[in-house]
Amino acid sequence: MRVSNVTVRRRLFFILLAGTLLFAGLLVRLAYVQLWKGKQLAAEAEDNWRRQITVMPKRGEIWDRNGTKLTYNISTPTVMAVPAQVEDAKAVAERLAAVLDMPADDIYKLLKKSASSVYIKPAGRKITQEKAQQIREMNLPGIIVTEDNKRFYPYGSLAAHVLGFTGIDNQGLMGVEATYDKQMTGVKGYISYLSQANGDKMPGSTSQFAKPLDGLNLQLTIDYHLQSVVERELQQAMIKYQAEHAIAIMMDPNNGEVLAMAGYPTFEPSHFRDYPVETYNRDLPIWMTYEPGSTFKIITLAAALNEKKVDLKNEFFHDPGAIEVGGARLRCWKRGGHGSESFLEVVENSCNPGFVVLGQRLGKETLFDYINRFGFGKKTGIDLGGEENGILFKPSRVGPVELATTAFGQGVSVTPIQQVAAVSAAINGGRLFQPHVGKALINPDNGEVVQRMEPKLVRDNVISADTSKQVREALESVVAQGTGKNAFIDGYRVGGKTGTAQKVIGGRYSPTEHIVSFIGFAPADNPRIVVYAAVDNPQGLQFGGLIAAPLVKNIMAESLRYLKVEPSKKQLPREYTYGDTTPQIVEVPNLIGATIEDILEDMNDNFLLAKSGTGNTVVNQVPKPGTRVEKGSTIRVYLADTSQ
Amino acid sequence: MAKARSAPDLYLITATLLILTIGVIMVYSASAVLAFREHGDSFYYLKRQGLFAVLGVVAMFFTMNVDYWIWKKYAKIGLLVCFALLLIVLVPGIGDVRGGARSWLGIGSFGIQPSEFMKMGMIIYLSKLLSEKQSGITEFTKGLLPPLALMGLAFGLIMLQPDLGTGAVLCGASLLIIFTAGARLKHLGLLGLVGLAGFVGLIIAAPYRLKRITAFLDPWSDPLGAGYQIIQSLYAIGPGGLVGLGLGMSRQKYSYLPEPQTDFIFSIVSEELGFIGAATVLLLFLLLIWRGMRAAVTAPDTFGSLLAVGITGMIAVQVIINIGVVIGMFPVTGITLPLVSAGGSSLTLILASLGILLNISRYSR
Repeated sequence: MRVSNVTVRRRLFFILLAGTLLFAGLLVRLAYVQLWKGKQLAAEAEDNWRRQITVMPKRGEIWDRNGTKLTYNISTPTVMAVPAQVEDAKAVAERLAAVLDMPADDIYKLLKKSASSVYIKPAGRKITQEKAQQIREMNLPGIIVTEDNKRFYPYGSLAAHVLGFTGIDNQGLMGVEATYDKQMTGVKGYISYLSQANGDKMPGSTSQFAKPLDGLNLQLTIDYHLQSVVERELQQAMIKYQAEHAIAIMMDPNNGEVLAMAGYPTFEPSHFRDYPVETYNRDLPIWMTYEPGSTFKIITLAAALNEKKVDLKNEFFHDPGAIEVGGARLRCWKRGGHGSESFLEVVENSCNPGFVVLGQRLGKETLFDYINRFGFGKKTGIDLGGEENGILFKPSRVGPVELATTAFGQGVSVTPIQQVAAVSAAINGGRLFQPHVGKALINPDNGEVVQRMEPKLVRDNVISADTSKQVREALESVVAQGTGKNAFIDGYRVGGKTGTAQKVIGGRYSPTEHIVSFIGFAPADNPRIVVYAAVDNPQGLQFGGLIAAPLVKNIMAESLRYLKVEPSKKQLPREYTYGDTTPQIVEVPNLIGATIEDILEDMNDNFLLAKSGTGNTVVNQVPKPGTRVEKGSTIRVYLADTSQ
Repeated sequence: MAKARSAPDLYLITATLLILTIGVIMVYSASAVLAFREHGDSFYYLKRQGLFAVLGVVAMFFTMNVDYWIWKKYAKIGLLVCFALLLIVLVPGIGDVRGGARSWLGIGSFGIQPSEFMKMGMIIYLSKLLSEKQSGITEFTKGLLPPLALMGLAFGLIMLQPDLGTGAVLCGASLLIIFTAGARLKHLGLLGLVGLAGFVGLIIAAPYRLKRITAFLDPWSDPLGAGYQIIQSLYAIGPGGLVGLGLGMSRQKYSYLPEPQTDFIFSIVSEELGFIGAATVLLLFLLLIWRGMRAAVTAPDTFGSLLAVGITGMIAVQVIINIGVVIGMFPVTGITLPLVSAGGSSLTLILASLGILLNISRYSR
C-alpha cells in the first residue's frame, strides 16, 4: 500500500496540533506555579533561605542579700554542627566520638538532622578547654566550637539546697533556680539572614538581629556570711556526732526572711550528679518531717498563756515523775520527777507531766486550733520546691492520750521550717509570716529592682502581743536557768527550747535513733533572729544539752556580733549550780533506769558520757550516783534493753 | 535534483537567534556564582557558551547553505560512525563519566557526546531510509521493524551510559519520523501496548522505580531526596511571579538549585525574568516549532519532510521534557533546554541541525 502525501500532511498537522497543545499545557502550568502559587512558594522559599542563629540570653545571677554573687555564668566551649556543611557524617561522628566519649551512632544521628544547626548533646555541651582545642584542631567542616554559658559557684557547696542547680540547657531544676526559673531565663535572641545552600550569607541580602533579653538577677534573703557560719557549724556537728543529717535555719522572725538555711550532707551544684539523688533532691529543712519533741512545747505554752489557762509564776505543780492519762502512764524524762515546781519551772525543766496538764486545761479543740493557727499541718509556702506538709492527728482520732502527747510534742510530725515559722510567730507578737528566700529580682542592665518579694503575713494575732512577751520571757529563763543553759551567750538575751524525738522508722518508734534539736532566738526582748538546729541520729551518747544547744549558741553568738546587735546589760543572769571557784565539785546523778530519750532531754552540762553495751536503758553506771567528782568528769553508762 | 532556492525562513532564524541570545545571557547569570566558586572566574561558562554559540552560528550558516540532499549521501556512513562512537564511549578509560553517565569523549572541557551525534545521525538515516522505502512502511516486518530495530539499538547503547533524557529524545524524534512516514496506526498502537507492558513489567520487578517516577507529583513527601530538585526548582519559579526578581537577582542559584546553568536554567529564567520572560521563551520555541513544521509540510520531497520533522521533533521533545521537569509536570530526567542551557559541542550541533532545517525551508513549495 502506497503512502500518500495526504497521509503525511495529515500526520504532520496532527503532530503540530499535539505539540501546540503540549506547549499550551506547559504555559498553563507555568502560569499556575508563578502567578497562582507564586506567593505561597515565595514564602516557603524565604523560610528555606532564612537561617536563624539563636543567641542565648544570659541566665540571671543569684546574689545574697548584700549583693555577694553566689552563682553566676562563665562561658564554656560547646560543640555545634551545621549538618548541611558536614561532609562525611560517618567519619566525622567517629572522630568526635573518640574525643567526646559519646556513641558515634548518636552523633551520626545528630549530624543527619535536618536543622540549620544542632548541639552535639549531651557530651558536646560544656566541655573542657583541652577537648575543645582537640576538636578545633581537627578542622572538620560543619563542626563549630562555640561558647555556652555554664553556672559557676564561687563558694562550692554553700547554700546548695537553696540555690539548687540547672540542667544541661541551663534550665532551673531545683532550689530557687527552679522557683525563679522563668525570671532568670530571659528571652532568646536571634540573628536571621538569607543564606546560600552552604550556609553562607547570600550576597546583597540584609540580616536581622534581635537582641536576647538577659535573665533577671535574683537577690536572696540569705546572707552569705551567716550562711557560712551555719554551714561551718553543721559540718563540725556532722563530724563530731557522726550524724545522719544536720539541719539549721536562721530566719528574721519579723518578716519571714530566711537568712541562712542548710541541710547536711550537702553537695556541689556544679556537679550534683556525682552525689546520691537523695542528697541533692531533698531539701531537708523543708522536706524532713519528724516529731519535734519538746520544742513543740512552745506552742502549748503560747496557747495556754493566750487562753489564760496558767499563771507561770504564781501557780505550782507537783511532778511525781509520771502522769496517768486515759489508762496510760506518761513519764517525765527525769527519773523521780521534778517534784514541786512553779509552771515557769515546768517550762524551764521541760517537764512533761506539767505540759500534759496545760494540754488538758486547753482541751483538744483549742490546742489543735492553735496548732493549726501556728501553721502546722500544711506547707508554709516557702519559695522552694519539695516542701512537706507534716502530719497531725485527725481531730476525730484525738483522745486523752493523743491530746497529752501532742502537748509535749509527740505524735505530731512537722518540718523544721514550720517550727521556725511558728516559733517566730510566738515571739514576734503573734504574726505568722511565710518564710521566703527570694528578696528581689533585679534588671542586670541597670540594676533596677523589677520585683520585690514583700514579707507575706499569713495570719495576724495568732496570739496576743502580751502573750508573746510572756513566751519570750519564759523561753529566756529556759536558757538562763533551765534546760537550755548550753545556749547561753554572755552579753545577749537569748531565749530558746530544746527538743528530742525518737525517730519513727517503718511506722514504729526507733529505740536507738533520735533527732536532737534546739530552737533559739535573740535578743529576747526584741528578737532579730530565730535559729533552729537539729542533729539526726548522733552517734555516741551525750546529754542532749551538749548537742544542738551549743550548735545554736555558736551560730547565734557569731551572727549577733555580725549583725551588730547591741549587747544587753539587762539579761537574765545565768544560774550557776555551784560557786564559781575552780575546780567545781559536782555530785554524780542517778542515771540507772534512764532511757536514751531521758538522757538526751537532760540538759546537764557537768558531765561527759561514755557508753558500753547496746540498748535503750541504763542498767548501771560508774561512778555510782551521789559520788562527788570534778565538773567535766566522764560517767560510764552500761546500756541494755529492758522491757518497760 | 537542484531546484530554485529562496531565502531561508526569517521567522525561524529570528526565533533561533533570539533564544540563543537569551540563553547566553541566562547562562552567565545562572552560572556566575558557581563559575567563580569552581573555576575562580565568573565568566567561565559565559565564555564557553559564547564560543560555542559563535561556532554554532557559523555552522548553522554553513548547513543553511548546503543543499540538504547531501546528507543522504553520508547517512549510512554517518550512522555507522555514530554507532562506533557509542560503543567506544562505553569503554572505561576512554569515555568520561560526567554527571553519573559515561557519555563523554574527549579531552578536558572540550569533549563531545556521541549520543548527541547519534540523534542527528539517526534522524538523517531514518529520513533517508523511510523516504526511499516509504511504500514498505505499512508492512510490519519489512517496513516498520528495521527502523525500529535501529532506534532500539541506539537507545539501548545510550541507556548503557546511562542517559535516559537523550535516549528519550532520540526515540521521540525517531517515532515522529516513522509516524509521519505513514506507519500504520494499528502497528504503532500495538507497539505502544508492548512498550507499556514492558514498562509495567519493570515496575513490578522493582517497585521503587514507581516511587521515584511519581515523586514529582508530591515532591514534599521526600524533600531532601527525590523531591529535592523539584522543590528547589519551584522555589525559584514561584517567587519569580509576573515580572521576576530582575536579571541577575536569582537566589536559588546560590547552590540551592543543582546545575542552574544546564538542566534547570529555565527555573532561573522564570525566577529572574518572571512569567513574562519565561512565557516569551516558551512562545519563541513554539514559533520555532511551528516554522519547523511548516518547513516539513512544504518540503519538496518526503526526505525533506521527514528530516524537517525529525529535527523539529527533536527540539520540541527536548523542550517539552525539560520544561515539564522544571515546572514539576514530569519526573526528573537529565535533559538540557536546547539553545539555552550551557553546553559545548551539543550547542553547535543543534545550531547546525537548525541550519539544515533552514535549508529545507528554502525549498518551500
